[in-house]
Amino acid sequence: MNAAIAGIGATDFSKDSGRSELQLAAEAARAALDDAGLEPSDVDGLVSFTMDTNAEIAVARELGIPELTFFSRVHYGGGAACATVQQAAMAVETGMAKVVVCYRAFNERSGHRFGQVQTAAAANIDNSWSYPMGLGTPAAMVAMFARRYMHEYGATSEDFGRIAVVDRKHAATNPHAWFHNRPITLDDHQASRWISEPLRLLDCCQETDGGVALVVTSAERARDLPNKPAHVKAATQGSGADQFTMTSYYRDDLTRLPEMGVVARGLWERSGIGPSDVDVAVLYDHFTPFVLVQLEELGFCGRGEAKDFVASGALELDGSLPLNPHGGQLGEAYLHGMNGIAEAVRQVRGTAVNQVANVEHVLVTAGTGVPTSGLVLGQSP
Amino acid sequence: MIDVEKEAARIAEQGESAPRLARDPVNLPMINNWLEAIGDQHPGYTEVAPPAMVQVWTMAGLHGQRTLDDPLGAMMKILDEAGFTSVVATNSDQTYHRYLKVGEHVSVTTSLEDVTGPKKTALGEGWFVTTRSTWYVGDEPVAEMRFRVLKFRPAEKPAPRPEVPKAQAIRPAINRDTEYFWEGCRNEELRIQRCGGCGLLRHPPGPMCPECGATKPKYLVSDGRGVVYSYVVHHHPQVPGKQTPFVIALVELDEGVRMLGELEGEPSIGLPVEVVFTKVDEELTMPSWRPRADR
Amino acid sequence: MRIGDSLPEWHVEATPTFVISTALATRDFQDVHHDRDLAIQRGSKDIFINILTTTGLVQRYVTDWAGPEALVRQVNIRLGAPCYAYDTLKFFGQVIEREEQDLTIEVVGRTDHGDHVTGTVKIEVPA
Repeated sequence: MNAAIAGIGATDFSKDSGRSELQLAAEAARAALDDAGLEPSDVDGLVSFTMDTNAEIAVARELGIPELTFFSRVHYGGGAACATVQQAAMAVETGMAKVVVCYRAFNERSGHRFGQVQTAAAANIDNSWSYPMGLGTPAAMVAMFARRYMHEYGATSEDFGRIAVVDRKHAATNPHAWFHNRPITLDDHQASRWISEPLRLLDCCQETDGGVALVVTSAERARDLPNKPAHVKAATQGSGADQFTMTSYYRDDLTRLPEMGVVARGLWERSGIGPSDVDVAVLYDHFTPFVLVQLEELGFCGRGEAKDFVASGALELDGSLPLNPHGGQLGEAYLHGMNGIAEAVRQVRGTAVNQVANVEHVLVTAGTGVPTSGLVLGQSP
Repeated sequence: MIDVEKEAARIAEQGESAPRLARDPVNLPMINNWLEAIGDQHPGYTEVAPPAMVQVWTMAGLHGQRTLDDPLGAMMKILDEAGFTSVVATNSDQTYHRYLKVGEHVSVTTSLEDVTGPKKTALGEGWFVTTRSTWYVGDEPVAEMRFRVLKFRPAEKPAPRPEVPKAQAIRPAINRDTEYFWEGCRNEELRIQRCGGCGLLRHPPGPMCPECGATKPKYLVSDGRGVVYSYVVHHHPQVPGKQTPFVIALVELDEGVRMLGELEGEPSIGLPVEVVFTKVDEELTMPSWRPRADR
Repeated sequence: MRIGDSLPEWHVEATPTFVISTALATRDFQDVHHDRDLAIQRGSKDIFINILTTTGLVQRYVTDWAGPEALVRQVNIRLGAPCYAYDTLKFFGQVIEREEQDLTIEVVGRTDHGDHVTGTVKIEVPA
């Protein structure tokens, strides 16, 4: 696509930001514009998640953005992350906007916590087949898939735990990560308490207050800006047959994420690269079991083989597919996937704290278990 | 401004308070009063005392006052002055090196171990104060206790509780597409949507058949039997109307559709189950699963 | 007695008489444990069980199950919702560790208001 991410910005990642979500959004957006070497007056587009509480016009007011010609929202929670960049890239490519800021900011720890049972969510008809039965948290909803996956492929809790261990290992050397200097062992994972069997506490991502913003503009314009552009080689969304939000339990096969399969096909087709060309993978990791399923859907290994692929050490920084060098959402912060896109940009620039050598292509995925999205970022358009 | 941490360090530096002797030696009448009140019929407490009584021997009593060098009292006073006026005990960890014999006379010393804060808690902002007490017979330490309290400033207004009380179940949203299902539950019928055009069975239901496009859904009454396809054992967080841990099972019914529900009993994939109906109130009856007797 | 063994569920009816007699038997004379008027004035719903009694009940729950030969080495408890007069306090327990003759039992005491006490008891049983 003729679009690149030219700027990234974030607030601190904390458990109690002490400020409004609007302030977090505005701070992150301003930091991203500073990074891009652009002014609020250069911005004419804004994209966020439908779940974000910060209206585009409110963010524009705080930043002093005079006029907007493009504003858009993407639905389905964390599944929106990469799709915000897709929206922005399409707007830039079609001339609907010249500079688009994508943002996500929340007080997810000190304010509204997604991990608690949201009684009000049962007012949604789809949720009426799960919440009243007692299945009311994202962890429990993923656990239902995970149990069946274990049953069919012989995966164990330890296989899930290895994802947490590698994420926390990478976070341990990232000063911006909440779990900086706090790696875990597989024993720590196995000793952590049950949340919703077969998921343990350390299978579940943390909760964070913070904000992340990205600046998207055309490839030509990005070339003239201070930082090396991270070109958007492909950006796609995906939803599968008989799709529900977190509870797609009525499909034939519960061991798959067909919506991520749709994203994978689109990414490989549009970018012209394949799984073997990926130098760094930033995979959405709100719950560890779905990282295994993603590895299979994206074609890094065959069905049911992710446990062996992971155990082989492939996901280490010096492995064949370095995973989440920033520590992911289990280790760095839970920003609905947006901090993962920022990490992908740093890996392309060569400025990450856990920099992987000779990065040409970075794959990023968004929320799993929901309609989702993905990105391939690269050195060249 | 009171520097709580500095004051805490000063008190901690003073170390153990002077030994305070129990009013009475370990004695049978007090042991028997304790056993009677607790209802403990353990036959072994005729020459030794129940270990959990250790703190009883050195309680200050009806008109008791803290000694001047008591570190917990001193720390409480400082936190009172700093505006943290309320207190609640959070932890008591007791270790018994040996059982106390009748006739032995214990004394206790206490030191301040740790003061951390200020922390935000559900009760309000406060400090966790941890003390360590050691009970001695003569010079021999016989028991120890780490005791922690939260000394807090009560929150101005109670934290908002948007969720319904725990006792109250989460209710489904019901509309014209799904009413037939809940009406069925009220009549103790497990209904599965059946397309009036092509006969497709479908759950969860919807207004238009994805196979033939017909918009005349009907239903059939399931025999309510199936097998567990997957399940979770839910521990955290609490779910309104449920007592954790509890099992939620995804059941594949004999008719071929899957449905979620709570499962009573030991879960396993493939377990044959049948539906049970639980009446919540006049409007709502919930379906759930139980293992089949004929399995 | 193996890891995973459950203790039988045990119910304690916390009548006012129980709350008061145990408070006095543990020499705890704080008014919130025996004087309802003062307890309510201080913001409580009713009088409630004191900590030393909770410790005693946890010990009793475990020794009732383990038998009089078991020696209690440690009672570690975390306190939650108060157990008020007229509450039913329900105890649940499970063996979570065993090394030779040393057992660790996890105990939860729960009322309708939530967990009153959660903790572990370490005991030593005869060989």
